Amino acid sequence: MGDYRVHVTIENKPGISDPEGKTILNDLVLKGTHQSVSKINTAKMLKFTITENSKESAKSKVKEICDELRIYNSMVSVVTIDAFDA
Amino acid sequence: MSLEPHELEELKLKIGRDPTSTELQIVAAEWSEHCSYKSSKKHLKILPMDGPLVINEKGYDSGVLDVGDGYVVTAHIESHNHPSAVEPYGGAATGVGGVIRDILSAGTRPIALLDGLRFGDIEKDQHAKWLFKNAVKGVADYGNCLGIPTVGGEVEFDECYADYAMVDVAAIGFGKKENLIKNHAKKGDLVVLMGGATGRDGIGGSQFASDSLESENRSAVQIPDPFIEKLIIEAILEARNEKLIHAMKDLGGGGLSCAVSETADALDIGIEMDVDNVHTRESDMHSDEIMVSESQERMLIITDSVKLVKFQDICNKFRIECSVIGHVTFDNKMHVKKDGKTIANISTDVVANATLLDLPSKKPEYLENIEDKKSFPPLSDYSEVMLKLLASPNIASKIWVYGQYDHEVGIRTVVKPGYDASVLRLDNGKFLSIKIDGNPKQCYINPREGAIGCFEEACRNVVCTGAKPIGMLDHLQFGNPRDPEIFWTFLESLNGLTDFAKDFEIPCIGGKVSLYNETPKGSIKPTPVIGVIGLIDKKPLRVQKINTDDCLIMIGNTKDELGGSEYSEYIHKFIGGKCPAVDFSESKKNMNAVLELIETELIKSAHDCSKGGLAVAVSELCMTNLIGCTVSLDDVPGDKMDADKILFSESHSRYLVTFERKNLQNLEELLKKHNVSFKTIGGFGGESIRFTDNSKSLIDLSVDKAQKTWLNSLKEMVMHA
Amino acid sequence: MNVGVIVFPGSNCDRDMFHVLSDVFHMTPQYCWHDKPLPENLDAVVLPGGFSYGDRLRAGVIAAHSPIIQDVKKIAEKGIPILGVCNGFQILVESGLLPGVLLKNDSLNFMCEWTNLTVENNKTPFTNKFELNEKIPIPIANGDGRYFVDDETLKQLERKNQIVFKYDQVVNGSSNQIAGVCNEDGNVVGMMPHPERAAEPEINPHDNKPSSLIFESLLKKIGANN
Repeated sequence: MGDYRVHVTIENKPGISDPEGKTILNDLVLKGTHQSVSKINTAKMLKFTITENSKESAKSKVKEICDELRIYNSMVSVVTIDAFDA
Repeated sequence: MSLEPHELEELKLKIGRDPTSTELQIVAAEWSEHCSYKSSKKHLKILPMDGPLVINEKGYDSGVLDVGDGYVVTAHIESHNHPSAVEPYGGAATGVGGVIRDILSAGTRPIALLDGLRFGDIEKDQHAKWLFKNAVKGVADYGNCLGIPTVGGEVEFDECYADYAMVDVAAIGFGKKENLIKNHAKKGDLVVLMGGATGRDGIGGSQFASDSLESENRSAVQIPDPFIEKLIIEAILEARNEKLIHAMKDLGGGGLSCAVSETADALDIGIEMDVDNVHTRESDMHSDEIMVSESQERMLIITDSVKLVKFQDICNKFRIECSVIGHVTFDNKMHVKKDGKTIANISTDVVANATLLDLPSKKPEYLENIEDKKSFPPLSDYSEVMLKLLASPNIASKIWVYGQYDHEVGIRTVVKPGYDASVLRLDNGKFLSIKIDGNPKQCYINPREGAIGCFEEACRNVVCTGAKPIGMLDHLQFGNPRDPEIFWTFLESLNGLTDFAKDFEIPCIGGKVSLYNETPKGSIKPTPVIGVIGLIDKKPLRVQKINTDDCLIMIGNTKDELGGSEYSEYIHKFIGGKCPAVDFSESKKNMNAVLELIETELIKSAHDCSKGGLAVAVSELCMTNLIGCTVSLDDVPGDKMDADKILFSESHSRYLVTFERKNLQNLEELLKKHNVSFKTIGGFGGESIRFTDNSKSLIDLSVDKAQKTWLNSLKEMVMHA
Repeated sequence: MNVGVIVFPGSNCDRDMFHVLSDVFHMTPQYCWHDKPLPENLDAVVLPGGFSYGDRLRAGVIAAHSPIIQDVKKIAEKGIPILGVCNGFQILVESGLLPGVLLKNDSLNFMCEWTNLTVENNKTPFTNKFELNEKIPIPIANGDGRYFVDDETLKQLERKNQIVFKYDQVVNGSSNQIAGVCNEDGNVVGMMPHPERAAEPEINPHDNKPSSLIFESLLKKIGANN
């Protein structure tokens, strides 16, 4: 058993609009001289610290928690889960 | 999206050939229940829609009332039930967006919102709690960002809404009569789509709203963007001021298919458009998807090529995209092209006029005995029951909800949420009072009387501010209309509303029908929600603080009518009993009496009796003024009956009026003149809410304790397990 | 008395502020659209409330990068009175014209309610008609109204008399209950509550006088200059 850090990144599913990302791109970044930026997507990250047997089980446990408690709304969002040694 | 087999046959017959895939999508969208109203349209004709203040214009999505001095008020109500049950935040937020655009498309600035929210039992059902919290946030975030005050509404919970969400949003607009958009089109006019880009959001949405909630339909989710909606409001109003708009329609259910076909049909024109000209969010969208997408925050404008230039400048100023997607023709056809090829060319009359259904109806069996009079054994502790009711979700203060809504922006809100109705000031020195009311518990027991009751309750609420009702919005929400018993309840409610509207000369200026509200667990209770708009010529009644020795008069009779009451259902868990019925003549007399009382300026406040009956209404006065009151049940006008019936019956047409003792005689004379049933039932003072029966103390509740319970109950229910 | 009311895409309370300045206090306000230069002859500037750029990224941050804010900075240096209300306050803070930061309310919810302020500094162009410690009943309506400064900055604000208004009770978790601050020169003031919503008897029949003094102070200051 060991402590692991698990990062859960929540962002809108591709194809679902991201009005915030669009505003930051069009009204802030492109208004300056940074024309090489073509896309900005917003995401939210939750950082878990969890005690589990392995990085893999830490990852799957956190995914379970997110699904059960509706930490992200699967209608709208996808999650990317990455686990690290603590 | 698809048509039923017989509808497909009918379409083939009408156009004389097989439809193209695009034509099929267009017709399936427009012939869906949500867009075509095929189950209800035939019957809605009975509602009176004309009146001296009503302005009728073709192609409008909202009702228009003349409020004098060259000004008009527009109003509309919509629901977003299905989407909110799946994704409450986005569903509720986009519900606000949709109704706002309807107000905007008449050419008026939206000035207020009201929301009606109904969910399952939040005390037991975690899912209902989740839906509720997120729907409130959705309404708050969207309305607040737009800078449009949410000034009123209602919140109710009932087991029949388990796994479901009822989100009703009403909006009010205000502007000059001369600025109303007179929808018309001339030769050579162009069709412009402006607003958010078209994506795959909500594809199948309107068809989805017409199916029951069998599975969570993912692609029907709609993402709200209130920022772009705010920009659209400012851009459209600027374009209106510059007289650049010939015709306008917002895109809602069915997307482009419905907006284009309905506009063409209403204006008696044809429209030729090219899907390649539609500005899209994704590069690989199929033409059919473009035609039925329900991406939010989009408006359809008709203008000419000269005015277009200025219109595009305005869109650029507000950084809104706009594309010229087509032009007006006069062949009454909806002609859609892609890559220069025709993918749909169909008569607008065929598209926009689905065959109306004549569905069968049958009185439900459960109604046979449900109104048998019911009595309950005497309570052992009335004070305890009183406190329980004040803490119950349907009666507890809703401050947790409306505290999240900016109800002051626009600085028109003269009477703020927390009273009977909210009041807005208009630019011509007059005031507008608005309220929405529903009561599914009563409507379940008696669909006709229940619906009339909702209408009268909304009227009572605006009357309490000193306003005369001038228009009504009806939102008729029922289950599956193909079930003859459910359809019967729809017809009963509709007939009840019609009778009341005709008798009181309050025209229906707009509304919506939402059917198929059900889950695998079953149908919702009949849930008509009625909005009433009232006009105050001179001054609204501003509630004054109640002091010791002030008096309380009750106007109206309390009857043995516990059916559908919070007392029966929340305390005794019993569904049934006599549903409160409105006596039209009593109702009218009482309304007129209260209005005249308010004009005399001799009263401090007028408050109507509704949920929880007399007991709750008196408690609300005490709690909001932090002052006690002693009421004698023997003095309450009406039937002689058990104490609990006097306290908790939800009979209609009843008002509580507070005033300084010195004005008693003048008030009594005035009320006698109106020939209404009334009596002084108590006086204010002390620190307890007290009800006596035959000089025996029945309820003795500390005002402080009651107030803390009432104010905090809902918040605690929502925030903690 | 020319007052510029700056309007960004998403500003909401510009029309409210314009109405109060013009119809109630008889000044000459003019709307200043964000991507046009600030007019030359302004006696004062107001940044009204709302949701500029939808509050995207952080409330006020995108607007703070607007060229018009560069103009505002220039006239601020000349001592022109500048008032930021709600989103306007957020923009002034994000642009560096005022110290501190505005975070989400403690309750994590939008709050629309009435509260009371105490005047802590009556030397600014917007508070010169108040007595010290005078109370102002006034509404707030915001989701990101929690004012935050670290301990060092707080000491500096107190030393240099930059705290202009404080809430009477705990409202949203603001450091030291700060509701409004000014810059070191005292001519730029930011406040979260909405004075324009409390200054008219028709909207606020019981106690509109204190909020009116905010505008009457400006009248006094501009009048003195003219």
